[in-house]
Amino acid sequence: MKLKVASKILGANDRLAEENRRIFTENNVYVINLMSSPGAGKTSLLESTIKALNGNLRIGVIEGDITGTDDAARIDRLGVPVVQINTGGACHLDANMIYETLGDLDLKGLDLLFIENVGNLVCPAEFKVGEDLKVMILSLTEGHDKPLKYPLMFQESAALLINKTDLKPYLDVDVEKIRKDALSLNPATKIFEVSCKTGQGIDDWTGWLRTLIS
Amino acid sequence: MHEVSIAEGLLATAVNECKKSGYGRIEKVSIKIGKASGVMPEALLFAFDAMKSDTIAGAAVLDIEEVPLAGTCLTCKKDFETEESYLLCCPHCDSSSFKIISGRELDITELEVF
Ligand SMILES: Nc1nc2c(ncn2[C@@H]2O[C@H](COP(=O)(O)OP(=O)(O)OP(=O)(O)O)[C@@H](O)[C@H]2O)c(=O)[nH]1
Ligand SMILES: [Mg+2]
Ligand SMILES: [Zn+2]
Repeated sequence: MKLKVASKILGANDRLAEENRRIFTENNVYVINLMSSPGAGKTSLLESTIKALNGNLRIGVIEGDITGTDDAARIDRLGVPVVQINTGGACHLDANMIYETLGDLDLKGLDLLFIENVGNLVCPAEFKVGEDLKVMILSLTEGHDKPLKYPLMFQESAALLINKTDLKPYLDVDVEKIRKDALSLNPATKIFEVSCKTGQGIDDWTGWLRTLIS
Repeated sequence: MHEVSIAEGLLATAVNECKKSGYGRIEKVSIKIGKASGVMPEALLFAFDAMKSDTIAGAAVLDIEEVPLAGTCLTCKKDFETEESYLLCCPHCDSSSFKIISGRELDITELEVF
């Protein structure tokens, strides 16, 4: 017989993401899903952010990579609780992967949890993991055409960090175009220009983070 | 690119709906995929066939209906429909303020069950 259904295919993931979100809220943890293409500076931004906020906020990190533990080791060196997820090939984190790590984190001891997604400018934007907010990084070396080529992540992100501004003198990249196109895709997005290398702009970013959590 | 995860979600949802209604086997799964959903139908078919074997949908066929991207412009008030998978401005007046009505679907619509 024919059975009429009206189900979202991503429904199973969305439901589990809701469950994660409920658990985070119950434990008073604010969760940020950090996304970018490979090498844009996600782990570098976490290092700078942790250094800037340590003492003020209790931060934890979930690292998502296809394979390897390099990023988790970098966070571990800063003395912050970190769990590494290896997706074994998958191009994004999903809600179930996060759900399975929850037992490894002392959520009650955290104010802010960063989830560093797999480096990829496309797929992570489609899968909720239970975050309060999606934040993305675009590094200047990627070029100013990226917002219009990969619109979904820009549309989904509450904040856009334009990283590696220290390299601007060496590049033919139009930062104003990045700003303009990102804002046309998502008028509500907050834009920060930062350099994880020199620390420029990091204060503005961490200042904004603190307003979210207090 | 992530059609494997989509196929996984699709199978889980279909199996769940089938069992919930008291049936034990799925022969056909009908879905709607928006042109702007980012999912490639061929890749999804391939992933579905690769993953269905050990489930009650082991012999099921996947029927995909593609839905074009359509919307209404908030500036010129006209409706539009396009074969593109992304739209940055209204095809009539170039305004970037418009509402998408369809084209991002990823829905199961019907199952044939026994
Ligand atoms: N010049 C410059 N280099 C930077 C900056 N931020 C990061 N980098 C460098 O960019 C490279 C990649 O940085 P990561 O922080 O590892 O990037 P990621 O996004 O975490 O990379 P994946 O996790 O592999 O996707 C490293 O060599 C960093 O030192 C910056 O602001 N300026
Ligand atoms: Mg990293
Ligand atoms: Zn128009």
